[in-house]
Parts: sequence; C-alpha cells; structure tokens
Amino acid sequence: MDFTVIANNFSYFMVGAWPNGPLGGAALTVILSVISAIAAAVIGFILGIALAMTRGAWHTGLLLFLGFFRAIPVIMLIFWMYFLLPILLDINVPGTGTVVVALSLIGGSYLAHSVHAGIRSLSVGQWQAGAALGLTRRQVLWSIILPQALPIMVPSFINQWVSLIKDTSLAYVIGVGELSFVATQVSNREMVFPTEIFLFVALLYFAFCSLLEFGANRLALRYR
Amino acid sequence: MTVFGELLAPKYLVWLIQGFGVTVVLAALASLAATALGFVLCLGRLARSRWLAWPVAGYLSLFRNTPLLIQLFFWYFGSTALMSEGLLEWLNTPHQLDMVVFGIKWPPFEYLAGFVGLTLYTSAFIAEEFRAGVGGVPAGQVTAAAALGMTRYQIWRHIVMPQAIRIAMPPLLGQYMNTLKNSSLTMAIGLAELSYASRQVETETFKTFQAFGIATLLYIGSIVLIETTGQWLQHRRKLIGAPL
Repeated sequence: MDFTVIANNFSYFMVGAWPNGPLGGAALTVILSVISAIAAAVIGFILGIALAMTRGAWHTGLLLFLGFFRAIPVIMLIFWMYFLLPILLDINVPGTGTVVVALSLIGGSYLAHSVHAGIRSLSVGQWQAGAALGLTRRQVLWSIILPQALPIMVPSFINQWVSLIKDTSLAYVIGVGELSFVATQVSNREMVFPTEIFLFVALLYFAFCSLLEFGANRLALRYR
Repeated sequence: MTVFGELLAPKYLVWLIQGFGVTVVLAALASLAATALGFVLCLGRLARSRWLAWPVAGYLSLFRNTPLLIQLFFWYFGSTALMSEGLLEWLNTPHQLDMVVFGIKWPPFEYLAGFVGLTLYTSAFIAEEFRAGVGGVPAGQVTAAAALGMTRYQIWRHIVMPQAIRIAMPPLLGQYMNTLKNSSLTMAIGLAELSYASRQVETETFKTFQAFGIATLLYIGSIVLIETTGQWLQHRRKLIGAPL
C-alpha cells in the first residue's frame, strides 16, 4: 500500500477546495454533523415532550408522523427533500441545507421516542406529587420530570449523534462535497489507490464517532 | 415538471417492482448471513481469551463507527486491489451454482460487494444485540446451573442461549428493518435496487412524485410488515406461553 496519495491530497480531504473554493471535505462533514445534531435534538425534545403530553387523535397523528420518518431510508428522504424543498419554500435550497433538513427530521424522530421513553420511565407518582403541590403540568415537566429524565436519555442521544455523523456521508448522493464525496473524487482522479483512500476516510470517520462517544460519555459521567 | 399527471408507463412500474425484488432479496440474504456471523462474533466477544475477545471488540467498534457508504466503496473499489488476479477473474466470470437446483445466475461484482458490505456492517450490530441478550440473563441462573453440576457448555446451551435469543428478538427485528433501509445505500455502487430504480425512473420520466412515491410506499410497507409480524409473534408467544 502506498499512502503518499493521502499526503498529496491531504488538504483536499480536510477542507476541500477552500480557501479558493467552497469549504468541503472533513470540515464540511463536521459542520453538517454539528448542525444536524443540534436540530435533531431540538426536534426530538419538542416532539418527545409532545408525545408525553398528548392523548387520543393528536397522539396517534404524531406517532404516524414519527413512524414515517423512522421507516423511510435516509437516501429516499434526501431525494424527497432535494425535490420538494425548492417547491415548498420557493427558493433555491443548497445541497447542504437539503441534507441537514433530512438528517434532522430522521434523527429528531428517533430522539423523540427516546425523550418520550425517558419521561415515561419516571413513576406517575412524581406527576401526582407535583400536582398535589399545586404545580401545573408544565411546571411539573420542567422542574421535576425533565431534570430526572435527562440522564436517562443521554445514551440514546450519543447513539443517535454517532448515527448522524455516519449518515452525513449520504450527502454524497446529491453531490455535496463532504468527506465521502471528496474521497470518491480523489479516488476517481488518482485511479489506482482506492484501498488506501477509503481506508483512510473510514478511519477518519471512526475517529470522529469514537471521539464523540468517548467525550460525551465522560461529560455525562461528570454531570451525573 | 409534471406533478401527478399520467400514470407511469408499465415499463417503469416493472423497473420499480424489479428493484424492490432486488432490495428484498439482498436485505433478506444479508440479514440471514449477518445473524449467523453476528452470533459467532458475539461468542468471540464473550470469550475468556483476550486474544479472541479484543480483536472481535475492535471489529465491532470499527464496523459500527464507520459509515456503511464508505464500507461499500471500500469493498467495491478498494478490495479489488487486495485480491490476487486469479481470484478477481474468478469472481468476475459467471459460474453456475451447481448446488442450487434452479441454477441461479452468478451475480455481477457490485452485488457481491453490496452483499458483503451490508452483511459485515449489520453483523457488528447484531453481535451487540446478542451480547445485550446474554447480559439480560440474570447471573444467578448461571451460578445455580453450575451448582447443579452442569458443565460450561451445558449452561450456555440450555440456560443462557435460549433466554438470550428470546431477549434479543425484538431488537434483532429492528436490525432487520435497518438492513432493509440500509440496502438502499448499495445504489451508490450501482446495484439496481429500489432506490436506484426510482432515481432511474425519475430521470427518464420526470414523474418525480410517482417514482419516489411508489418506492417510498414499498419501503414503508415492508417495514410495517416486519413490525406487525414481530408484534404478532410476540403476542402469540405470550398467548401460548411457549419459549420462543
């Protein structure tokens, strides 16, 4: 194996054509991951709390909505968003935006169930005690339920964020110049080193995911 | 761009159905192979010997923490450089699979790479589900079985494994659903499954809603089918109170 191909293209792997062109490569992967992770967490919290607080038709409707995003393959959703977003918003949506929307919706749908499960794992007595103290349901949720439920949800969040990092590679299918796309570009240009290139890129992703897992677990332990 | 417009021509519907067939067969074969491999990996991960447990732990971590897309690219583009020319030639020439009565056609290389990639990726997740299942068997049962004079093999075979598999069943079904969805990534290496077909129909007809809509319905329909089958199995198991 000959890893000079990595050294020769190192800056292209890391930042794409930047500063002479758009930012790409590993840097874009990180940006896509961070934005999608935050958006997915926000969606997950809102919809998860909504799942816990609703009954009847609203609850069923919400479950169906979440079920759709959990059942559709990420690639199909990226295709849909690529096609639908410009029609719905009536503006030109860049590929990066398309991917962030698709990944946040899917990640958020999975997280909503984790948030719901975390809230449900606490005993009903907590709600009743809060109500007995004269707190409204919203006050009970904020000051009694969520502080206890959060640590329970942490592992699901970490797992989902790792999935998100991996799923940013699917931006490749609509030509967003993140790490996977850049890797295929270099591989096509150089022709003879696909093994080295994809091994290197795999290790880079591995480093990102492991770093997140390790760092988040340590943080979670400290604040337990 | 036609939004709903006329219905897709039969030719394109056939493409989508064929793509769906490839998706189902690929996902089923990969799930089967990954379950077998995942079981073996789980045994390796739980082995007392470090020389076995640590490399397996490395495998699990590496395959779980890298994107499937990159793994597929590696197997499709990268693995050929590692193979000898003889093997490569053998893989690329059609063989009659004699052991099968129907004489299945030898698949093109992207099918082999897709199957291998999907199987290895999924096996890492399935191994962890099995391991969680083993972890779910109360430790007291193992001690009790040992006190009854059962050997390590007997304990494993009659006490731990049956319960572990039962515990792992629901998450395993979840992994099979993931495999079905993940099989869509093989379109990136040119495997003509459902997502690939829908993209192809879309570029040829510009009937985006129908092309993506039908594909999406087929995906969601099969996911719902797996889920209901799982729930039905669970329900029936509870009704007759049978183990497994």
